[in-house]
Amino acid sequence: MTGPVAFVKEHWRLLLLVVFITGSMVSLFVPGGVMGGNDYVETQDSGATNLEYGLDLEGGTRISAPVTGMTAEDIDAGAVRDNGSVDQARLTEIERTLYDETGLETGNVRVSVDDDGNAHAELFTENVSEEEFAAALAEAGVEVDPDEDIREGVTAETRQQMVDTIQSRINAAGLSGGNVYESARLGGGYYIVTEAPDMGADELRELLAERGIVEVQAYYPTGDGNHTNETVLSGDDIAKVDPPEINQETGETVVPVQVDSNAAPEFQSRLNELGFTDPNVGVQQCGLRGDGESINFDHEGERYCLLTVIDGEVVDAHSMGPRLANSMSAGSWENDPTFQMGAQNAQQGQALSVNLQSGSLPAPLDFGEAQTYSLSPALAEQFKLYSLVIGALAVITVSGVVFLRYRNPRVAAPMIVTAMSEVFILLGFAALIRMPLDLSHVAGFIAVVGTGVDDLVIIADEVMEQGDVSSRRVFESRFRKAFWVIGAAAATTIIAMSPLAVLSLGDLRGFAIITILGVLVGVLITRPAYGDILQRLLTDK
Amino acid sequence: MGYFDVPDRSYTRYSNRQLAAVPLAVLAVALLVLTGTFLMTGAPVPLGMDFAGGSELTIQTTSSQEEIANAFDEEPESIQSVSAPDSQNQYVVQFTSTDLESLSQQAEQNLEQDGDADIVQLESTVSGSFGERTQRTALLGVAVAFVGMSVITFLLFRTFVPSIAIVLSAFSDLVIPLAFMTVADISLSLGTVAALLMLIGYSVDSDILLNNHILRRQGDFYESTHRAMRTGITMTVTSMAAMLVMGVAAGLFGVKLLSSIGIVLFVGLAADLMNTYMLNLSLLRWYKFEGIRS
Repeated sequence: MTGPVAFVKEHWRLLLLVVFITGSMVSLFVPGGVMGGNDYVETQDSGATNLEYGLDLEGGTRISAPVTGMTAEDIDAGAVRDNGSVDQARLTEIERTLYDETGLETGNVRVSVDDDGNAHAELFTENVSEEEFAAALAEAGVEVDPDEDIREGVTAETRQQMVDTIQSRINAAGLSGGNVYESARLGGGYYIVTEAPDMGADELRELLAERGIVEVQAYYPTGDGNHTNETVLSGDDIAKVDPPEINQETGETVVPVQVDSNAAPEFQSRLNELGFTDPNVGVQQCGLRGDGESINFDHEGERYCLLTVIDGEVVDAHSMGPRLANSMSAGSWENDPTFQMGAQNAQQGQALSVNLQSGSLPAPLDFGEAQTYSLSPALAEQFKLYSLVIGALAVITVSGVVFLRYRNPRVAAPMIVTAMSEVFILLGFAALIRMPLDLSHVAGFIAVVGTGVDDLVIIADEVMEQGDVSSRRVFESRFRKAFWVIGAAAATTIIAMSPLAVLSLGDLRGFAIITILGVLVGVLITRPAYGDILQRLLTDK
Repeated sequence: MGYFDVPDRSYTRYSNRQLAAVPLAVLAVALLVLTGTFLMTGAPVPLGMDFAGGSELTIQTTSSQEEIANAFDEEPESIQSVSAPDSQNQYVVQFTSTDLESLSQQAEQNLEQDGDADIVQLESTVSGSFGERTQRTALLGVAVAFVGMSVITFLLFRTFVPSIAIVLSAFSDLVIPLAFMTVADISLSLGTVAALLMLIGYSVDSDILLNNHILRRQGDFYESTHRAMRTGITMTVTSMAAMLVMGVAAGLFGVKLLSSIGIVLFVGLAADLMNTYMLNLSLLRWYKFEGIRS
């Protein structure tokens, strides 16, 4: 047999193996890998390979927690008109009624319409019963059955917003490689899973526990000697946020923001009504002092302040500036609706800016049902070493047993090499798709060596039984027989592991995925190649 | 190549009943252990933190084991010292409480720091309700895997007795390590569940091999059996050796996930040797010599 076609035809099994091993080498060792890009990974990983490591082998924290809340789904709110447009005023009206009836704080009620035109009402609390929720909705003219229509959990939109918000908070904290996703749990409901490689448990918990609901409140005298707070602007109304800066005139930390053009006119007219923009009434009339965190409200006389409020806590009080007051009272401000939100110091300004930028967490996480896992980088480094040692020990053991059994290096040596190349191809694949490796993957790799060698034993025994392999034809027929068993065994292993690959059982997913991939790589690539090698060695061609 | 050779014709000396009696008796004992434990504790196997909820800290400290026990308001469930090559003074401490924040605070306040290493190296907590859900999910996973394996087996062999023989020995392969875990007080964790699922896949291999050799090949029953055994026992022993090494080494290093996978697989594969070559074989022999004609 000569010519390239015949050569390929004869050795396609070996060639395939060589192609895959070369591919793995490229994806493992060529800097930047095949996929390239994603430079943030390169900066944190100075290792010799392109492999990425998960929490177990890199250190960091993972917190999984469900979202607190309940939802009345697909309510008949009368807020969607026949032509599909949404009656925003009606939604706000229902929201107001729910706030009044339940007495919940700002940010814990939400009535929304999803992309399919279905309206949902959500309460983000544990302190209201389903009956109370239904009663409050009835008050707003929406009839629901507390048992049928109200369920635990929140809507998909809310969860997605949680994920986005947390992700942008982690990014804002300057952390690379953070990962946020939702994970379905059995029997309904979802966990929000947050992974941050460079954070301790306390730090991450703090970041997740803060709602970050920003409001601007007007603090003004009511005329009877008392003062009142009124929310005049919420975080959602702010369209654009700049990083905190020092105001040149006053020397204070401020966060420049631009108000959404829909909210600007109302903000302007309300402040005009309350007298904030009247030079004889409200301008420059605050003068409350803070201690760096909160504000002291002990004062005499009438004051006009714009308060910065985060999660219900007043963090700063500012006067209305004369220039802003001028453009507002003239009515021209709404054409360029920017102003500066106050903060007491740079740190607070940073927090305010981050909260505004990432938006508030639409609902709180339920830490009572959480799972936390946190590992120091030092211990992770040890785990990496142990994984290598354990893997090496397993390979040595397997090699020892195989050599003892066959006493023939020509059969045993390629067996070990083939099993190792299976792991190598898998590692290359992991580097290619940037799969972060954890301890469970390491267990998977060891299991792959185990099953791999098993199947090679089947091939070797089958091919060598009944004396020598005299011809290629005999070899092929025996090899095919062996392959029936291997295929059957592979099918059962894949079936047995597939529930793990789909179900959200944390650590085990990686194990299952690696095992299944290993079986596939084995059956399709490495084991046929081993047959080829064995044939050449035994038939002495 | 005499290492794993088994006495060739010894099977002829035992009747099918005798052969099947041993694995069935072991299976019965295992089921008894599991039922007994279930009646006494409410769970057939001791549930680990993943399923029952609780907290775990890995701490590095020069304080003694006793001082560690006294450092916490709540008495630890267990304290295990880690004996790894390049780390000393490391302990894995488990609690039933899930208040991770105060546990790690207590550790940092009451324990001696070892050089400049962090005292709390790993902290992990699972709330009770989280664990309960995991438990249900895991149970579903094992059930689906088992049913899937059974269906595949029936599809492959398309005859009742050989297929049911595989399913029965796979079932026994699962129950025996579970009973072993109860007796040896290894608690059920995500790692051990993975091992059990792996067993479903692994243990069936040797059964398929045996059935294939006996049913689909020509030749004498004992001749086929012998050949299947030579291959099958090599396979299982190789895997057992790898798993034992992994289980023991990982246990010493305190890498729990790997050690529990290793140990449970080792026991399960040992059970599989017995089930394949006694239970499965006796059923096959009955089928081949008597069942087929009826």
